[in-house]
Amino acid sequence: MNLLFKLHQWFSFLGNYASFGIAYLIETIVVLLFVTISFIILIYVFRKYMARIQLRIGPNRVGKFGLLQLMADALKLLGKESILPKGRDNMAYRIAPIITMMSIMVSFIIIPYGGLYYFGNLTTTNSDITLILMFGILSIMPIGEVLGGISTRSNYAILGALRGIAKDVSFEVPMLISVLAIVMVSSRSFVTGGSTYNSLSLAGIVTNEVIPYGIIEPLGLIVFFISMVARASYSPFDLSESDSELISGATTEYGGMRFGLFYIGLFGMVYLGSFLVSLLYLGGYNGPVSSQLGFIYLLVKTIILVLIAFLIWVSLPRMRIDRFVQFGWKYLLPLAVINLIYAGVFVLYIR
Amino acid sequence: MVATVKEIKIPKKPIPIIGSLETMYSIGRFMFKKPITTQYPEEKGEIPERFRFRIFLSPESCIGCTLCEQICPNHSIKMEVWEVEKEQGLVVETKRGARENMQNKRHIYPDVNFGTCTVCRNCEEICPTNAIYLTHQFEDARTRNSFTYSPQELTRQEDDVIK
Repeated sequence: MNLLFKLHQWFSFLGNYASFGIAYLIETIVVLLFVTISFIILIYVFRKYMARIQLRIGPNRVGKFGLLQLMADALKLLGKESILPKGRDNMAYRIAPIITMMSIMVSFIIIPYGGLYYFGNLTTTNSDITLILMFGILSIMPIGEVLGGISTRSNYAILGALRGIAKDVSFEVPMLISVLAIVMVSSRSFVTGGSTYNSLSLAGIVTNEVIPYGIIEPLGLIVFFISMVARASYSPFDLSESDSELISGATTEYGGMRFGLFYIGLFGMVYLGSFLVSLLYLGGYNGPVSSQLGFIYLLVKTIILVLIAFLIWVSLPRMRIDRFVQFGWKYLLPLAVINLIYAGVFVLYIR
Repeated sequence: MVATVKEIKIPKKPIPIIGSLETMYSIGRFMFKKPITTQYPEEKGEIPERFRFRIFLSPESCIGCTLCEQICPNHSIKMEVWEVEKEQGLVVETKRGARENMQNKRHIYPDVNFGTCTVCRNCEEICPTNAIYLTHQFEDARTRNSFTYSPQELTRQEDDVIK
């Protein structure tokens, strides 16, 4: 039983459409709350983790173990004066952080979360093409960064935006080709050997994923994970926000909560990338024991991936821009194509 | 004369991903080490045995020779008149009976400006009667007053000094 239908039954005295609308609204709000709280915990965990690796203690003053540090920071950012740069493109400047934040939020709504004992299936929205929708939303996200860079007329910001574009162009193609390999493998069922019809939805892919696809095509896993690192643009690939050369890259001229939205967007992208990798390559909410625990399985896989991502973030230095583009086109793209050919051969074999 | 050409060995190109993984491993190990930060006002770190900062004065043995004033490289020490015998009733036993401390006839004692003191310990070294000496106390931060310690304050513990 889906959580959505349960809510629909509760509100059934309002009539069919109104109750569905309210059920969607409530579930969306719950998901957004979950995501926001996750971001806060994620930023806290990142700061603590980075501190422990650098043999520091990290935030420990505000609240117990510094748990309320993020609240204090957010309050500080909210209380700041919003300073607008002089020669800006007003509309683009104001809309850029909202685009980044909103695309992250929307993409969390279409993730299939799996089931939990009493609540049933937690997935908010399901459609036959959620995979395409997801990558559509993911390609909206850099627009916010680029708009934020070029709208402020700061040289640093423009350079950061240009680097961001170079990064996105180099890494979208291998990412989508490795996803195409997933769709090919997923279109053929392991159990019956016949073809499946829902291989373009995330939920359908996870349902078909009896063996995790990361075991079947490890090359695709590597390529997709690196692409997700590049999309989130943290340390080895943080070219759009290279704080030692360009002051803060595309977000140089932003302050207060507008900068906070960009910052949350960065962590949200780490989280979302981990969700996508665990859904597409590590079995998603399929687990070894009980199918009732799907959400927990998904969350555990995601958290392990997030910790690996943080370890990459704190340990690896930034790549040079030319090496970076070279890496995208000369190594990742051929690897993705090899993975695609391998996936085709594999699909023919299981038939 | 034929110049011999040395063959230059080109170093092997390292595989990029392997090096990154090694880096991640060696940095990730620090996760399980204890942080070296000490939360200072709550927990105090170890002070070495020979660490010295705060200057103390024992007025019974000070003879007012002004050697410490002369040796001080920063002129942090100035001599100051202090009628310590009348205040504290310092009395020395002699053959003719009890009388005032005759060692320090001019009643001058050092006062120290800790704002300029470099803790070179020359005053402690030059003092002929060990009247001026340094201890391991170091928490003498002040808010409003100057950093100059009068001879009265030099005899007191750090907690008793009015800051």
